[in-house]
Amino acid sequence: MRPVIAIAKATVGEAIRRRVLLIILFIAILLLAVAPLLGVLSARQEQTVLTGFVLGIVQLSSAVIAITLTVYMLPNEVERRTIYTILSKPVQRWQFLIGKYLGAVAALAIMMGLMAVVSVLEFGLFQQDWAKGISLLQAYGMFFIQMSLLASVAICLSTFVAPLVNFFLTGGIYLIGTLGYAFFDSFNKNPNAPVLGKGMAFIVSSILPNFASYNVQNPLINPETTIQNPTMYAVNAVLYGLFYIMIMLIIGMLMFDRKEV
Amino acid sequence: MAAAIETKQLTKTYKSKSRNLTVVDKLDLHVEEGEIFGFLGPNGAGKTTTIKMLLSIIEATSGEGYILGKELGDFDVHKLISYVPERPYYYEYMTGLEILKFYGSLFGISDVAHMQNLLERVGLADARNTNKTINQYSKGMQQRIGLAQALLNDPKLLFLDEPTAGLDPIAHREIRDLILSFRKEGRTVFISSHELSEVELICDRVAIINHGVIVAQGKLTDLLAGGRVEILVEKLDRGVFSDMKIGDGNIHDTPAGVLFDVPEGSDVNAIIDGARAKGGQVVSVVPRKKRLEDLFVEAVRNK
Ligand SMILES: Nc1ncnc2c1ncn2[C@@H]1O[C@H](COP(=O)(O)OP(=O)(O)O)[C@@H](O)[C@H]1O
Ligand SMILES: [Mg+2]
Repeated sequence: MRPVIAIAKATVGEAIRRRVLLIILFIAILLLAVAPLLGVLSARQEQTVLTGFVLGIVQLSSAVIAITLTVYMLPNEVERRTIYTILSKPVQRWQFLIGKYLGAVAALAIMMGLMAVVSVLEFGLFQQDWAKGISLLQAYGMFFIQMSLLASVAICLSTFVAPLVNFFLTGGIYLIGTLGYAFFDSFNKNPNAPVLGKGMAFIVSSILPNFASYNVQNPLINPETTIQNPTMYAVNAVLYGLFYIMIMLIIGMLMFDRKEV
Repeated sequence: MAAAIETKQLTKTYKSKSRNLTVVDKLDLHVEEGEIFGFLGPNGAGKTTTIKMLLSIIEATSGEGYILGKELGDFDVHKLISYVPERPYYYEYMTGLEILKFYGSLFGISDVAHMQNLLERVGLADARNTNKTINQYSKGMQQRIGLAQALLNDPKLLFLDEPTAGLDPIAHREIRDLILSFRKEGRTVFISSHELSEVELICDRVAIINHGVIVAQGKLTDLLAGGRVEILVEKLDRGVFSDMKIGDGNIHDTPAGVLFDVPEGSDVNAIIDGARAKGGQVVSVVPRKKRLEDLFVEAVRNK
């Protein structure tokens, strides 16, 4: 376990110094800061709009950060030959991969934590509604699981596709898994749909990670959704995420073990 | 004495759609414990690929190899060896000590005093360096922190890939001295290089590799045996010297005089006596040592 932790720590150290990520983070925080101004333009309930915007900004920038952080992680290690020094030590390849993944997730937690703090302060200080601000943290928790899942997909793919391809592939999977999942799922459950189409929809919705289930708290995207048992829902979503992450990492480890670096 | 490295017909073939590229071809290497071994060859000869196979970073396509008596792929060997890649690069936000702590933790080593000693040993311990991060290090300093991390686990065998490439002469010298000190401590050092003058000064034995094939291997002193002696004589007429007996040598008529070029160990006295007897005046007697460079060019060209 010691090598895994050491590698994770070094990965965090690098990630929080990467300029691209810091720029994305900076832009996100800037947008969060000006978000209250956008609410004024809207005729709808001001706070609903603001909540929607804030969650949207955090989600989108977290996703961009998660993908940018992970797709270059292994290729960079090879290109700079840092991986060779590490693998010449008593470190197994799976330890390296897991260390890298945990480091990425920890870096994500730091950056998302910063955005969370900013948005809670925003609701508390400017809207005088601390309760609302604090309640957002639940949504951020769900986002964090979602982003950890996204990072595991990117790491898994990075063991066999080039970084730029991976960037669009993971991005695409995220979009389809977020926006299209409900569509495939309902198609699959529709008794009147053609069998072949249902089959396809079943395959897509069972293979694709269901990113959509982590978005329910956004009132702009899901205005109607009400959850009967929020705790059960959250537990389910977390377990599903962890399970999926495990599958991704196992595939990643198997691929990485055979990879010629 | 046991062999530190032994390979038999070690081969690496990279397969691609269009063709198979054999970059290391049936390599038979033998490195003794406690020696500095030079692995020489031009760029692209297959040196780095060989080292990666020996470190089990990549898998050999065929053949076998043993590191410190253990078969390639044995995980425990990694505790006894070290590696500094060519043009090494370390996490650039870390200081020298942080680098050592990081690599130390991969072994479960956390002895900071040991790390300070290593920094001292490679000349990175003084106050003006302690706060520098790797991105403020010169190339020579990066190579030195590389050697320091390579010593963390007190290794029996070190692999140094092109340790002096791209360094200035002073940095060369420092790295060379460090490598020599490794031998004094009984470690085996495997150095790959395309810079011969470096290797010539420190290696006990060498192998020369070209296009993945070993073209010469052995003790440096043996490989470089067979130097020549040149004797330059003035005031000797063409008609007079052409019938002189000089064994395996050659005689050249140069503007500076007549040049007798004979193998090392020839009877130089007899030639000088003979030339003087015919009225010649000996200007110089110069031993020409065979240089590694000659051997290298010879070996690479013959292929
Ligand atoms: N992963 C790889 N796939 C295909 N060819 C490779 C790969 N790695 C190295 N080569 C080729 O193998 C040859 C030997 O490379 P290398 O061992 O790095 O040489 P050296 O270290 O002696 O300069 C080169 O022609 C290089 O292009
Ligand atoms: Mg090389």
